[in-house]
Amino acid sequence: MSKIICSAAIRGAHKIVQRAEAEYQAAMEKWGPDQEIGFPNTAYYLPIIYGILGIGVKKLKDAKDVLDRCRSLLPDMVAEHVWLPYLAPALEAGMATFFAEEIIEAIRYLESPDYYTRTEGPADGNIWLGAADDVILRKRGVEFVDGTAPGFAAILGAPPTKEIAVQLAQELQEKNLYVFMCSDHEGRKMSELLVEEGVQIGWPTRLVSFGPEYTAAVFAMGFATRVAMSFGGIKPGDFTGNLIYNKDRVFAFAMPLGTVTDEWYANAAGAINWSFPTIADTPIPEILPTGICTYEHVVSNVPYDQLVSKAIEVRGLKVTVSEVPVPVSFGPAFEGERVRKDDLYLECGGPKSQAVEWVTTRDMDEVEDGKIELFGPDVDDVEEGSRLPLAIVCEFAGRKMEEDFEPILERQIHHFVNHTQGLMHIGQRDITWIRMSKAGRAKGLKLKHIGSVLHAKFHQEFGAIFDKVQIKLYTEQEKVRESVEEAKRSYEYRDARIEGMTDETTEMFYSCTLCQSFAPSHVCIISPERTGLCGAYNWMDCKASYEINATGPNQPVEKGECLDPKLGQWKGCNEFIYKASRGAIDHYSLYSLMHDPMTACGCFECVAAVLPICNGVMTVDRDYAGMTPCGMKFTTLAGTIGGGLSTPGFMGHSKYNITQKKWISADGGIKRLVWMPKSLKEEIGHRLKESSERVGIPELLDMIADETVGISEEEILPFLEEKGHPALSMDPILE
Amino acid sequence: MSFEIPTISYNGVIRQITVGKEPNCVTVGGESCYPFYLFEGAMPHLPRIAMEVYDAPPEDWPQAALEPFADVVHDPAAWAQKCVGSYGAEMIALQLASTDPNAQDTPAEKAVEVTKKVAAAINVPLIVWGSGNLEKDKEVLRMISERCAEETLLLGPVEEGSYKALGAASLAYQHTIAASTPIDVNLAKQLNILLGNLGVPDDRIIIDPTVGALGYGLEFCYSVMERDRMAALTQEDERLQFPIVCNLGKEVWKIKETRLSEEEAPLLGDPLKRGVLLEAMTALLFLLAGGDIVIMRHPDAIQLVRGLMNELMGEGV
Repeated sequence: MSKIICSAAIRGAHKIVQRAEAEYQAAMEKWGPDQEIGFPNTAYYLPIIYGILGIGVKKLKDAKDVLDRCRSLLPDMVAEHVWLPYLAPALEAGMATFFAEEIIEAIRYLESPDYYTRTEGPADGNIWLGAADDVILRKRGVEFVDGTAPGFAAILGAPPTKEIAVQLAQELQEKNLYVFMCSDHEGRKMSELLVEEGVQIGWPTRLVSFGPEYTAAVFAMGFATRVAMSFGGIKPGDFTGNLIYNKDRVFAFAMPLGTVTDEWYANAAGAINWSFPTIADTPIPEILPTGICTYEHVVSNVPYDQLVSKAIEVRGLKVTVSEVPVPVSFGPAFEGERVRKDDLYLECGGPKSQAVEWVTTRDMDEVEDGKIELFGPDVDDVEEGSRLPLAIVCEFAGRKMEEDFEPILERQIHHFVNHTQGLMHIGQRDITWIRMSKAGRAKGLKLKHIGSVLHAKFHQEFGAIFDKVQIKLYTEQEKVRESVEEAKRSYEYRDARIEGMTDETTEMFYSCTLCQSFAPSHVCIISPERTGLCGAYNWMDCKASYEINATGPNQPVEKGECLDPKLGQWKGCNEFIYKASRGAIDHYSLYSLMHDPMTACGCFECVAAVLPICNGVMTVDRDYAGMTPCGMKFTTLAGTIGGGLSTPGFMGHSKYNITQKKWISADGGIKRLVWMPKSLKEEIGHRLKESSERVGIPELLDMIADETVGISEEEILPFLEEKGHPALSMDPILE
Repeated sequence: MSFEIPTISYNGVIRQITVGKEPNCVTVGGESCYPFYLFEGAMPHLPRIAMEVYDAPPEDWPQAALEPFADVVHDPAAWAQKCVGSYGAEMIALQLASTDPNAQDTPAEKAVEVTKKVAAAINVPLIVWGSGNLEKDKEVLRMISERCAEETLLLGPVEEGSYKALGAASLAYQHTIAASTPIDVNLAKQLNILLGNLGVPDDRIIIDPTVGALGYGLEFCYSVMERDRMAALTQEDERLQFPIVCNLGKEVWKIKETRLSEEEAPLLGDPLKRGVLLEAMTALLFLLAGGDIVIMRHPDAIQLVRGLMNELMGEGV
């Protein structure tokens, strides 16, 4: 920790404790030891002292013990040539500061009962509200718990101009934060600047003018301390619990505006105990390493127009966007809306122009959240029935953002754009195709609104995994071409990465229990090489889903010791399955259809079934309604093996899974595949071809029978023999 | 070899939750066995029946349901008093149906007023149930939570979309909440975890699994409740060890069979008895599946269920 900061904080703490001692002495002489003291209408006495030390200060004499504690906490002044770490002493000095300041403020209530208004807003020309009573605490504290007000900015001092003051206050209000104000810089006070500009202050507008002196900072800290006791069930004196509660749940930070005095340093150091970092406008030293606070501790010299966004970033606060700001309706109801030729105003992409959508990750300082830019003409610049090329580039940044999340976020663009009335979206990546209807355009819809929709929806649905997103839209051919090139490189990199992931090199698999509502004993284990049987969830999706919703249906499963590498059984997976199926299933294989196959819910895209005469396996997808060689149609198969059962000889799986290396690898893999519907063969043909080449039988695709060859084992066997299908010469599938 | 009755090995107990405040409180839960399996464990508290009271006069109730309350439907407080005084209600469930934006859209302030009046008129615990409209419930129940801080209410439904707002209100004002999820074990568990993470103490949560009426999907609800209880009692699923509330009266009395007249459905028997029997059967089935509080409407149905419950407890009729 910066020596300069620590020295100043410790100096400041000494001054404040001395002041408290002096005022205490004077008060004792004037009022006597049994004089009652405290903040108005609260059950928490002097809340920081009560919450941290567990001491309820009721009478003047009770403060004596606390002052003694301050003295014992106060470290020696930092000497010129000491190079020890300073963090711990500075934090203790900060703690002593708050205890001393509470005593100073309590004596003020005694000496000048009318110093503070004791109301929710300014009264009788007095703008200083003082400590929040318990009624305010309960009413406002609820907002801290339910997230409608995530936290507060404790502002000391004031910015140089009224305009900046108003701007700052508004920006903080827009982020739903409370603004707690105290102290002054060269006589200027934030609260007064706001009042002079006609801004309404008080608890109802979340602009709380606590007091004119630096000591009023304790009202902010006391509020946080009481929130932990009142809503977190934290007992008085449980300082660890209280401080951790604040770290995890109260998104507050200190914002000193103006010269940082020793006293301010002391208060800022104290706030770090609560994990509230300091964001300063002046060039004070910084403390950047993570330690007590979630991220940095002190960040300084921040320009006024960046103060709020910097503070939010450093405290790890999530932005909430409640509405999608577009002039048309928005919702899933519009997903199926088609924009046909006659309704068409503008078309981007499709067969006749180029369009691309691409999500990428940038550094935190490269992204300005909510910035939406359009380069090139918008809908109003072109005539009805026009075409424009389009590139949608979404640049994400965040402390928890990973490049693995890019494809997941990118896939959402399809839904979000489609949910917008007047827009139709087809395709993805560089085959995107967007149409805007005449009706949408008439309501004022612009291409730029795509950016607004994406910004709002990404925050609403995926806010947990990133902090900032800015969107660039290009409609100039050259720029679009550049974006496509860049995006393609990214797609290739991604594909290679996913393809390159193996179960062996991945320690953490994910579960999916989404289907337990109707298949109570079903548990999916999703590994990189065995995507969910519904086709909707791959390993990466589950990982992201878990990041977004840690208590949801996708939980991490440490695969643990490998029990059988061939069948794909792991100790950790089996234990998880036992627990998650509530004891109904105690193990299964990820790679086998014959030996304890994975349970099936009913949502599988395909069912594979053993064909004993052909010594192979068939698979049938949901869209194929006809008979199959195993003697059952898809619906009968689904009804037979679904519902959370593990049925040897049958297995539910996704279409994509067929071409993954581990698909029934214990039973011989893709070389066992002797029959599948023609349409499925065509759908996954190119990948199937690659898989065939991988196993050294490039002509395998032509050896697999389909319904045009036959729909019974007897009918397809001669075909397989004629083609020399590898399954016929493999070990018997039935042992 | 002598025959031994197979027994279930239980390893969990349902939490005991007290609703309301001294001296007018009731405690539910505490079971250490499946419902009424008294030969295997204990049910320290008999399930409770709460009687419905509506915040506005019902408009489309069948005659059978309306008749016992015809004199009090315009005054929720008198209605509640009648339930307690004449029919011995052990709890009152105030249904704020009129707050629904698709009904009268009664403002939250008015709902607070009604809640206060009803609470003042009775000496039994009060359940306050929103209209089921997520956004409106958030506003209404939150305001009731704050303005009726002196009461200790059971507030519902608290859903995934409203648990933060209403959970926080429960924390601040000590109300118990009914954690409501759409007929699913995992969703119920998840909401309980979320409430726990928010800081809501375990002694203030009751599960509302969402129920339907006999003939209208009851089997599914029954099966989910059964699984809730199996998980809680035999599978050490700590986040499901909560009592269950079934808000069934309003479900039964809206189905077609309780509303058809004798002329319209001559084969279905006396319309006055029909609804009562349907309600009693629905309630009984949910008690057998693990219900700890059943919210009911008709006094005769309640009478029947009480009798059956006493019999199941081995206390005679």
